[in-house]
Amino acid sequence: MKIATMFSDIWQSLWQRPVTQKYPFERKEAPDRLRGKLHWNPENCTGCALCNKDCPANAIEVITIDKKEKRFVMRYHLDRCTYCAQCVESCRFSCIELSDKEWELASTHKQPFTVYYGNEDDLNEFMAKFTQPESEPTPQ
Amino acid sequence: MDSVVNVAALLVFPGGLFVIAAGLFYEWIDRKIIARLQNRLGPRWFQPFADTVKLLAKEEIVPERVNPILFVALPLTALAGALTAALYVPMAGLKPAFSFPGDLIVTVYMLSLLTLCTGLAGATTRDRFSLVGATRTLTQLFAYEAPFLLALLGPAIAAGSWQISEITAYTETHVWILVTQPIGFIVALIGLMGKLELPPFDSPEAETEIVAGALTEYSGRGLAIFHLGKGVELVIGLTLITSFYLGGLSNPLAFVLKTVGLLVVLAALQSLMTRLRIDQTVGLWWRYGALLVLVQWLILFVIQIV
Amino acid sequence: MTAVISPKKEKFIIPIGPQHPALKEPGHFEFAVDGEIVTEATVRLGYVHRGIEKGAEARNWTQNLYLVERICGICSHIHALTYALGVEVLAEVEVPPRAQAIRVLVAELERIHSHLLWFGVAAHEAGFDTLFMYSWRDRETIMDILEALTGNRVNYSANVLGGVKFDISDEQRKVILDGLDFLEKRTHHYLDVATSDGMFLQRTRGIGITRLQDAQRLGIVGPTARASGVMRDVRVDAPYAAYDMFPINIVVETAGDLEARFVVRLKELFESFRLVREILDNLPPGDLQAKRFPRRIKPGEVISRVEAPRGEVFYYIRSNGSDMPERVKVRTPTLCNMASVLSLAVGHHLADMPMLLVGIDPCFSCNDRGVSICSSQGEHGRWTWERLRQFGIDYYANKV
Repeated sequence: MKIATMFSDIWQSLWQRPVTQKYPFERKEAPDRLRGKLHWNPENCTGCALCNKDCPANAIEVITIDKKEKRFVMRYHLDRCTYCAQCVESCRFSCIELSDKEWELASTHKQPFTVYYGNEDDLNEFMAKFTQPESEPTPQ
Repeated sequence: MDSVVNVAALLVFPGGLFVIAAGLFYEWIDRKIIARLQNRLGPRWFQPFADTVKLLAKEEIVPERVNPILFVALPLTALAGALTAALYVPMAGLKPAFSFPGDLIVTVYMLSLLTLCTGLAGATTRDRFSLVGATRTLTQLFAYEAPFLLALLGPAIAAGSWQISEITAYTETHVWILVTQPIGFIVALIGLMGKLELPPFDSPEAETEIVAGALTEYSGRGLAIFHLGKGVELVIGLTLITSFYLGGLSNPLAFVLKTVGLLVVLAALQSLMTRLRIDQTVGLWWRYGALLVLVQWLILFVIQIV
Repeated sequence: MTAVISPKKEKFIIPIGPQHPALKEPGHFEFAVDGEIVTEATVRLGYVHRGIEKGAEARNWTQNLYLVERICGICSHIHALTYALGVEVLAEVEVPPRAQAIRVLVAELERIHSHLLWFGVAAHEAGFDTLFMYSWRDRETIMDILEALTGNRVNYSANVLGGVKFDISDEQRKVILDGLDFLEKRTHHYLDVATSDGMFLQRTRGIGITRLQDAQRLGIVGPTARASGVMRDVRVDAPYAAYDMFPINIVVETAGDLEARFVVRLKELFESFRLVREILDNLPPGDLQAKRFPRRIKPGEVISRVEAPRGEVFYYIRSNGSDMPERVKVRTPTLCNMASVLSLAVGHHLADMPMLLVGIDPCFSCNDRGVSICSSQGEHGRWTWERLRQFGIDYYANKV
């Protein structure tokens, strides 16, 4: 039966800096494997939409512009994404990757949470076709 | 002229504003030291001030089926009691503003007024957490009060006077009473922790059981005033113990050094201990605290007779 | 909230929850007290019923992996693992041994983080905040390891159906080993604190004693049961994943009080440290994922059991041949242990209630799942949607 068993800890703490990180002022580097914002490379995409089907949060929409020409656009909903990286696993052509740098994604507006990926021409054509790009989320 | 000085003594120094500010500052020191001992950052220096200002600006909600006069008057009485006690102690190392033979007893009971008001405040509301908290607060009051008072009377007997200014004068000229009456010092220090409901004696406000104890229903101004009263009590308690046991307080520098030193010891004790159940608290005080202080008295009497 | 005290029959009830500083999640407990002694205890659960089981029926097999991972925030990997193991049996897919070993590795790292988290929470409930702060500071080591290894601090998403997502590099191996060395040293210290600090022992030793026969009768699982001498651990009784390759030693205490629960959980940490080191040293070679995993799974049903940090997690999965499960039934350990809190509460001090409650390491969101309605007429069974709706309308109409 002892008392003050934590004395060694508080004695050490007296002489060392607090471990608290002053977050916005001091940033720790994120590990390489961190799962952040999704990035899509349209080059190899075949439009199989497996990423679309397997996404548990319905955050990915692969939109076909021209199936024969293999022209696709991706609409990615940052606010729905759970950063599980299943899309990275599902894609057989390595078109998708999650960034380890972009993880401070909070915003006070709704607008930056919808991200479009694709070739410039495809995007322009898509935007022209749909005057209202903000569509209702598809009901499950 | 005299009346102007008296009013200043009541409202500015040593009562009133000075002791309230000192209370908030000492609260910050306490929180900061505990945080550092736990390897945390702790609050910035103005945090207790900011908390108080915020609380004072907020709406005070008077719960249903409560006597509203009592509900508002209790925190004021508590703070008034604590501020009155400040007039009789050598605040900031200067002479007490008022003094009369036997003011030690008055001071100690003025301090108890805060605890009493807290208990009553809990008992007037019909909140169940408040009621349990009030019961615990008052139970604890009966546990530590007698040993704490006896521990403070030890130096008084050595000095041969129950007047705080005379005891302080005696302790300044003699060897520290901490050396001659170590048991009394320990009991007084732990008694102060009980009085302030600091860990391990914080079961009256144990948040994991009864939320905020007796003060659960208080918000806004009432809570802020109780809070200020606690801070004032902390300063007065530290002043009393340092002036009695740690060789008196002859100047403001000695006051700051000694009281802050004592506060560091208090903070270390708080961070090393687990909360006691209320039955364990009562058992501790009556089984060991009271016994120890009586042994101290016995030794004192034996020495005085010899 | 009002309390009416009359000398006759009415009881003085202390409500804990649904919103209360002692509870980190909503649950409702009512303790009738006589002074400080508890005379009666009741519990009401179901405040965080999220409909996950129903939701699982509308998602495909892959999507559900991530849905069940969110049943519990603290043991997220365990839920995904249980589900994945079950679905792999249904689909008759062989998982490579290296993937199984990595799954066990993450599960054990998660156990370390969960037990350290519990240790801090329990210390906080006892009013020992210094211990709480230090154990959580050290827990950050394991959180950083898990983040570096899997890519996230909480929902690791380490599993895919048929394997795992990542391999372990030499660099990470070193980080893990360094972290474990530090944590092992700290755990020895914490074990010393939990078993020798006089003030802390006043709150734990001899409090909430659960005898062996009571533990068996109430069906308690996990470390709570092992603290009462029940030799029960799914990792030993029915080794899954790679536990047959890397066996563990079961940690049992016989005292059954709160102190024994502390000791069991802390000693399990040493067992986890040993196992993680062993896996890192003897990682079997091979692939990380099965070659192919079918999208549609032929009809069948399976039971999958895994030892979570809190006890046995139980999954029942049924397939009807489509790409979605027909039924996923989950039972989490908290539900099994809840009865022990109620049976222990009577006769203890009110101040011990938070400790007793935390002693089982409760996770309310995990266990709030099934709803069974018992009407006052003693009628049980399923209600139709229309009837439930009518009941709601009548209830609020009559309430005013």
